[in-house]
Amino acid sequence: MLLEKQMKLADVIHHDYNLVPVINRFGIVLGFGDGSIESICNNKNIDIDFFLTILNAFHDPQLLDKEFLQSFSARLLIDYLRKTHNYYLAHKIPEIECLIVEMASESSDKKRSYELLQKFFEEYKNELIKHIDREETRVYPYVIELEEAIQNNSVSESLILRSNEYSITSYEEEHDNVEEKLTDLKNIIIKYLPPSKNQKNRFKLLKELTVLEKDLVDHARIEDLILVPKVELLEKSLTNN
Amino acid sequence: MGKTKKVVVVSDAFLLTAGIENLILELSGMLVDHVFDGSEKRLSEKIISKKPEFVIIDPECIKEILIPILRELSEESDIIVIGIVTKVTSQNIVSRFSHTLDKENNKFQLIECLQKIVGNQSDPLEDNEPTISKRETEILQNLALGLTNQEVADKLFLSVHTVMTHRKKITRKLGIKSISGLTVYALLNNIVDIREVERSV
Repeated sequence: MLLEKQMKLADVIHHDYNLVPVINRFGIVLGFGDGSIESICNNKNIDIDFFLTILNAFHDPQLLDKEFLQSFSARLLIDYLRKTHNYYLAHKIPEIECLIVEMASESSDKKRSYELLQKFFEEYKNELIKHIDREETRVYPYVIELEEAIQNNSVSESLILRSNEYSITSYEEEHDNVEEKLTDLKNIIIKYLPPSKNQKNRFKLLKELTVLEKDLVDHARIEDLILVPKVELLEKSLTNN
Repeated sequence: MGKTKKVVVVSDAFLLTAGIENLILELSGMLVDHVFDGSEKRLSEKIISKKPEFVIIDPECIKEILIPILRELSEESDIIVIGIVTKVTSQNIVSRFSHTLDKENNKFQLIECLQKIVGNQSDPLEDNEPTISKRETEILQNLALGLTNQEVADKLFLSVHTVMTHRKKITRKLGIKSISGLTVYALLNNIVDIREVERSV
């Protein structure tokens, strides 16, 4: 279903519960009333077109409007991507961590297995943090600077040098590694972790990992299909200047 | 029921993609795992990383890069590539696919055609739970202890290429790709001991 601005946001959430964290990133929290998408966005000063495009892309991957999304400023895109990172690091990852710790402390016989799981997740977390950190401290500032320089027609020598140094194209590859470990973890839980009595927490953990996985895939898709081509375009116009 | 066979679709055209997904649903034990846009970068690499049994490609959406992509996919002996063609698709393109589905066929014909393609393939893993062989266990053990591919090769008097082939097989059987994931598996199954692993780190 294509989501449109006259729809009530509450109906949208009834229709697709997975959108709760997405609207959250735009500063909309549950208890938002009975307004339409349009009125809620206006109240919150949110760019309606951008909001709807992201919502649709997340709701149904086939509704990702590449050209339209690329028409938004890199700043707007990056602002959204940063909020997504924050959602992972400040919420999802700690939640999952807590869950694993809880599982380890509850069981006496399977303690060792959970400790292994904990260690593996710790390693995964550090990898994710490193990846996000690199994007936030190197890639994003560079992209924003690039966009501003081209807009103001004030391209500096050092910027050209930097654009030659690393091209955006190379950074796509890291996403696969981040996704890979999560799939490994899911397989370990589904297939290989010795069964325990407390299936409730294990079920919860699997659900959390699946939600995180979907979110990460969508996040990487927006970066790979929208941000990367946009930056390539900017880099091209830089060399043409 | 055997193991689920993964299908990856490469198509930009929604009607076509939806049709393929609908078709795959008709066959038991098959599942569309991922749909890629023809414009994706490093497409063949991404397809391979999904470890599909079948790749269904609409040649229309990857016109210029069709030949390199098919070449790279053909190096993966486990992947069967199926092209979506019509009566007007040039013979030059049709002949590059080992199997084709005719866009203009009806659903029944397509199912029959697809069943033939799927049936032709023998899958040794189908009935039994995949277990890793003695050799693979040995390699897994050494990888879990932190040895590199080269070090494992030297220790077991194998070529690096052979070690990598075993590794791919292990990953395919277990569904675990990363070294740390494999280490967890090895520990859970007592293939290595936690003290050995800690000593080697």
